[in-house]
Order: sequence, then C-alpha cells, then structure tokens
Amino acid sequence: MSSLVSAQGVTKRFGSFTAVDNVSFEVEAGRILGLIGPNGAGKTTLLKALLGLTDCEGELSVMGLDPFKQRKELMQNICFIADVAVLPRWIKVTQLLDYVEAIHPNFSRKRAEELLRQTKIKSDSKVKELSKGMVTQLHLSIIMSIDAKLLVLDEPTLGLDIIFRKEFYANLLNDYFDEERTILVTTHQVEEIENLLTDIMFINDGRILLDSPMETLGDTYIEVATSGEDADRARGLRPIAENQMFGKSNMLFEGISREHLEGLGELRTPSVADLFVAKVKGARS
Amino acid sequence: MITNQLALIKREIWEHRSIWVTPAAIAVIVTLGVLAMLMFASGFAAELDAAIFGAQNLAGEPERKAALTAFFLSTSWVFIIALMILTVFYSLDSLYAERKDKSILFWRSLPVTDAETVISKLITAIFVLPAAAVLGIIGTHIVNLVIASLWVSMKGGDGGMLVWGSVSFLDNWLAAFIVVVASGIWMSPFVGWFLLVSAYTKRSPLLMAFMPLILIGLLEGIILRTHVFAENVLARGDGLPIFRTVDIERFIETEEWRVGEGASSLLTHLDVVQFISSPAMWAGVAVCALLSTGAIYVRRFRDES
Repeated sequence: MSSLVSAQGVTKRFGSFTAVDNVSFEVEAGRILGLIGPNGAGKTTLLKALLGLTDCEGELSVMGLDPFKQRKELMQNICFIADVAVLPRWIKVTQLLDYVEAIHPNFSRKRAEELLRQTKIKSDSKVKELSKGMVTQLHLSIIMSIDAKLLVLDEPTLGLDIIFRKEFYANLLNDYFDEERTILVTTHQVEEIENLLTDIMFINDGRILLDSPMETLGDTYIEVATSGEDADRARGLRPIAENQMFGKSNMLFEGISREHLEGLGELRTPSVADLFVAKVKGARS
Repeated sequence: MITNQLALIKREIWEHRSIWVTPAAIAVIVTLGVLAMLMFASGFAAELDAAIFGAQNLAGEPERKAALTAFFLSTSWVFIIALMILTVFYSLDSLYAERKDKSILFWRSLPVTDAETVISKLITAIFVLPAAAVLGIIGTHIVNLVIASLWVSMKGGDGGMLVWGSVSFLDNWLAAFIVVVASGIWMSPFVGWFLLVSAYTKRSPLLMAFMPLILIGLLEGIILRTHVFAENVLARGDGLPIFRTVDIERFIETEEWRVGEGASSLLTHLDVVQFISSPAMWAGVAVCALLSTGAIYVRRFRDES
C-alpha cells in the first residue's frame, strides 16, 4: 500500500532550538495514528509541517504533495482541528457555512446542516455566543462535511468535559472514519483514544521514541507484575521501566518474548500511558 | 480565483462591520444635522429657511445649482475624511486581528493561499471601503434632497423644480466616485505599509505603523537637514494629482460677477488623464505591491505557535 504521508529526515529549527529533529516515518491510508508526546515535544510543529503551515528541512510528502509549496491543493483533501485554532468569535454559523461552501470544493453544506440539526447550535448564533463544547461541535460538523482523505486533530478535545469528549470520538468513528480516510490525532488524554488507534507514535524532544502498529505493541512490550525471587530474575532481563505497587514490582520489557517471561509473574500488555511514561523516562535517563 | 476573492471580500465585510456602519452612521448624522438646521432656521424667518436649499430666494438656476453643489461637496468631504480614518484602522486590523483571536489557523486550514487572503484585504481597503463611502454619499444626498424638497414644498415653494430640477446628480456623484477611488489608489502605498505592519507586529499596530514613519522624517530633518521623506511620503495626501489647478474664474466669472460653471460642476475640477499619467501615482502602486508582497511573505512564513 502506498504511503499517504512520507517523512524522511524532517527537521525544524527555531534559531538554536530544534523542535523536530531528523524525524522519519510513513502513514498509510485508512489508519488512525495517535501522536503522543509531552508539552513541547514537537508534536504541533510536526503537524504544522505536515499541513504546510511551516517550512522544514528534509523530505516531506503528503498525498504526493509538498505541503509548504502546495498548501492550497493539499487543503482540498485535508482537514484539521488544532488546539489553538479557535473559530473566529465574530462569525455567525450561517456565515461560516456560506464561507466554507464558497471556498471548499469538497464541502457538503447539506451534510453540515444535518449534523448541526443534531446539536443545540442555532444557525443565527455567533461563535462567541456558544460554549466551548458547542464551538467544537460546530467545527467538527464542518470538518465531517468535507470529503477529505486526511483528518488532522491536534488536541481537539482540550478543555471539553467528558461527555463532549466521548461524543466527539464516537461521532468521528461512526460518522466519518472509513478505510478511505486517515486520521492523525494528538492528545493528552491518551487513555480515551487508545482503543481507537491503529498505530501509535511517541515523540519527545523532537525525536520519535516509538512508531508501531497497535496490533504488534503487545508482542513487543510486555508488563510483568512480580515479587520476591521472581522479581530479581526478571530484573536480570533488563526491564525498561519498573515501579512498585501494592507490594509488587511492575516491570516493563521491550523485545523480550512472552516465553522468556512466563513463570516470572502475571503478564499483561501495558497501557499506552504506562508505555509512554517508560519510553520518555528511558529517553531522559 | 474570482469565487474565492468574492467569498474572502464578503468575509471582510462580515468581520469589519465598520465598513458599512460608518457610512450609514454618517448619513444619519448628516441627515439629522440638516433637519435640525432646517428647524432652527425656520424659527427665525421663512425667507431664511427657504433659502437654505437654494430655493426661490436665490437669484436663478446657476445659483441654485451652486448652492446644492456646495451642499454635495461639503457632505462628501465628511465621508472622505471618515473613509481615510477607516482605511487606516481597517488595514492595520486586517491581518492582526486573526492572529490576536487565534483564528488564523482556522482560516489557513482551508484551501486559500496567503496571497489570495492578503489581496482580498488590499481590494477591500482600496476599492470596497471607497465603494461603501460613495454609496453613503449617494444615499445621503438622495435622502436630504427628499427632505429639502418636501420642506420647500411645505413652505409654499415648488420643491420638485427648485430642488430636484437644480441638481447635477451624475456630475456630482461621478466626481465623488473618481475622487474617492483616486484617493484610494494614490494612498495605496500606505495601505501596503499598514498591511505589512498588521501581518508583522505583535502589539500596538497603530503605534508600530506611524512611529517609524515619523522617526524617519524627524531623523532626516535633524541629520541630513532635508525633508525629502516628509514631503514625498508623509505629505503625500496633499499632492493627489486628480485636481486641476484652482482657477477662481471657474467659480465666479469676475467680469460679469456671476456664478461660473465650476461652482455647479465638480467634474470640471478633475483631470483623470493627469492622474493616470502621474509617475508618482504609479510609483505609489509599485510600492504598495512590494509592501503587500511583504505582508504575504510574513503571513506565510510566520509561525504562530
């Protein structure tokens, strides 16, 4: 399958600070990739490079286009919601629909109006009169009415309550996603989306720490809850992280087969959050 | 391209309501002023009252035409001065507000180039704002003529003939249109500069736009003891090459002491050929293009994160 996104040695510097450092990865069509990283890790800068909003060094191709040089063509097939990208507060809902309809060749106003009818948003309301949750609903309704190949979400549910967050992802999966479409999402609330992801990528200090399909994550990373002599034997296998809980040692192993770990304790697949913490701490030590 | 431009300009009109609210507000103020004046004057004497709109007390047709043209001219200048102030504030806000309210990423998430966006703001500043001012001028004139003719009729005069029959509509409106558009083009280097500042500055666009201009003028005067920048840039507004040299004979024919054609025809004072063939006008357009390209470049390369 051909790659929808291809990055080779992508680097972005701001003066002496390197926000994205020689990053290479591929994203295939029909995947949901979670880009996870702490604040200042370089996630947003990388997404901006993918969206053609900032220039960068290295080779970057999105749907065969150079994002920075061909941003207009690219934006006909990409949608994005960024954490800091708020809708203009002065605009009315109808004006927003009028504008996107005039500008975007792949926008269906009918679909947007159908989606908005399912919410409490009134068509003559101004964005500044809506709650943050409603603004996100409005933005999502517009995005879901655009027939785009790639959807980029940068902390899309930041500041929303749990009900809106759940609805947001449910709508996205049920009404939007199919094998023709690809979603790239960054979030702090990784537990809420890890079940949706097909692929995961960790980024820290501008570098990729992990790039893996979710289905093979359980083969590569295994967590063992152990104690006593078994814990000492397990430590001999050099876990990448260890913490104590309820009198047991939880050790995280990378690249050690399940057979080697059998009998040392209770085996389980680590959560993405635990794995993320282990990888980031490992990278810092 | 044209569809995008129309949508982008429409967006500017939605966002900057002052584009149409200001001319509408001026129209209302002028009309109320005229009404107040009529009522005030009628309190003194019926003759004075009727004379205000050049009715029967005035000597003849040329005098009536001149009186109405003077009214047209004075109200038009109110709009033109307001337009100049509005253009400064609009241009400085146009690329600054979207960064301030952080909506720039939303606008840039749609298939519109930075060049298209900046061009739409340039067109709005140079053509849409003047067009709104001209509509305001025309609207104000029509409403005030209706009021004046009704008033004169109420006082026993023939409002239709004395007021409507004495107006050079096309002459005056065309003159207002030409002056407003020519002013926009003539002052376009300032619009380009304001757009660049608007795209670049992190705070106080008004201060950041005017401070360098004033400083350059001052420093040139102090260090070089010359005033080239002040005369050619800061005082550019004085040299709009659309006006003919003022000739008093066109207003009053002194030999016979009667009102001249120039008093009732504003068009006779304008010289479009002189404007189009002015090197300073074309130099200004080139500077505007250069500065606007700078604004496009800044919007494109600036990282707001």
